Amino acid sequence: MKKEKNIIIISIMLVCIILTAVILVQFKAVEETDITGIKTAQESELKTMLSSWKTKYEEAAEKLAETEQKIQEYEAKMSSDEEAEELLDEELMQTNILAGKTDVSGQGVIVTLSDNNEKEIVSDDLIRLVNELRLAGAEAISINDKRVLNTTEIVDVNGNILVNTERVATPYIVKAIGNQTYLSSALSLKNSGFIDTCTNEGKTVEMKQENNVKILAYNGERQMKYAKEVEEE
Amino acid sequence: MKKWKIACIIGLTCVLLTIAICVQLNTMKEANSTVSSDYAENSLRDEVLKAKQKYDETVNQLDEKEKELAKVREEATKDNESASQKEAQIKENNNLIGITELEGEGIEILVQDDPNVSTETIGALDSIENHIVHDGDLRWIVNVLNNAGAEAIEINGQRIVNSTAITCVGNVIKINDVKVASPFTIQAIGYQASLMGIDMPGGYIDYMRDWGVVVNIKKVNKVKIEKYTGALQSKYMQIAN
Repeated sequence: MKKEKNIIIISIMLVCIILTAVILVQFKAVEETDITGIKTAQESELKTMLSSWKTKYEEAAEKLAETEQKIQEYEAKMSSDEEAEELLDEELMQTNILAGKTDVSGQGVIVTLSDNNEKEIVSDDLIRLVNELRLAGAEAISINDKRVLNTTEIVDVNGNILVNTERVATPYIVKAIGNQTYLSSALSLKNSGFIDTCTNEGKTVEMKQENNVKILAYNGERQMKYAKEVEEE
Repeated sequence: MKKWKIACIIGLTCVLLTIAICVQLNTMKEANSTVSSDYAENSLRDEVLKAKQKYDETVNQLDEKEKELAKVREEATKDNESASQKEAQIKENNNLIGITELEGEGIEILVQDDPNVSTETIGALDSIENHIVHDGDLRWIVNVLNNAGAEAIEINGQRIVNSTAITCVGNVIKINDVKVASPFTIQAIGYQASLMGIDMPGGYIDYMRDWGVVVNIKKVNKVKIEKYTGALQSKYMQIAN
C-alpha cells in the first residue's frame, strides 16, 4: 500500500518536471523566432524593405544564372578539348571593368563644385557627394579624372584636397556613370538632396546629365600586399 | 505527517507550473498583439520574410556556384601558361572588387554609442544626437583607413566595395542597403603600424571620445574580412574606346 503511494507521487512529480521543461523550451522558441527588425517595422518601412529585398534577389538571381552559364561554357570547352582563352578574356575584361582598371563610358551625370568668394569646397563635400552617387547606383565615379574606388581616400592636406594621393583643385568635376534619371533625381531632391544642402550652405554646385560620360581608369597599380584570399578547407 | 509533506510538494509544483504558464501566456499575448495589430501589415511582414529568405537562398547558391566556377576555371587553364596567367589575374581582380573572403594583418576598431546616456537621462541642453555614432563618422573612418593604405575593410560584416554607400535614414544606419547598428566592429587589412596611426592624439577619434562615444582600436594579426554578398553591377558602363 505504502509502496503504491510512493510510485504515484513519483510519477506525478516526473510529469510535473517534464511539463516544466516543455514550457521552458517553448519560452526559448518564442524568443528565437522573434525577428525584431521585421516585427517592429511600420507599414511604409515594410514596403521599402520588400522592394529592396526583391531588387537584391533579382540581382543575385541574375548573377547566379550568369555564373551557371559560365560554368557550363567552361565545361563544354573542356569536354571538346578546345582552348578556354576566349571565355577567360571575357571574364578578365568584366573584372577589369569592375576593378577600375579600364577607361569606361556610359550615360550619367557631371557635377561641378567650385570655390566661391564665401565658401571653399572641402573633402567632406566630395565624400558626401560620392556617397550619394553610390546610393543612387553609380557604377563608376571620378573626381578631376582621378578614379574613385573602394580604396580611394579623399582628404584635406595643408589646404589641398588629395584623391588617390594626387592633388585636385577647384573646380572639382565629379563624373558618374549610372542611370541618369536616378542619379540626377537623387541629387536634386528638394531640401535634403545634395544640391540643395550645398546651395543652402552657400556653396557653388552645378549638375548636368550626359549621354556619354567618360571616366578614366585608376592611375596606378592595384595590388594587395597584406590581404590573401581565404583558402577553403 | 507524511501526507502533509506530499501535499506540500505537489502544491508547490502546481503553483510553480501555474506561474510559468501565466507568464508564458502573457508573453505570447504581447508578441501576438504587436504582430497582428494590423492584418495588412501582417501579410506584408510575411512577404518581406519570404523575399528575404528567397534572397538568402539565392546568395547561398551563388556562393557555391562561384566556388565551382573558380575550380572549373582552374581546371580549364592548368595546361596552358597564358591561360593560367589570366586565371590568376581574374582571381586578383575578384579580391580587389570584394567578392572573395580575405585575411591578413590589420586592425579592429570597436565604435559604440555613449553607454552613459539615454533619452531619459539626457540633459535639457544636450541632445542624444551628440552621443551616438553617425553615418558620417563611419564614412570618415573608412576614408582615413583608406588614407592609411587599407586593402580591405568591413563594418559589421558588410564589405566596403566600390558601390558601398553608408547612409542614415531616420535613426537607422545602412551599409550596402543592410541595416547595421551600434556597436560597430570595423575591420581592416593593411600595414598595422600605419593603420594604427588613425588614432592621432587630438584627432577626430579623440573628438568622438570627448562626446562619450566608445572607440577601441587594437592590432589583430589575422583579420578575416567577409566578401560582398550582392551583385556588382556594370549595366551602364562599357569599356571606352
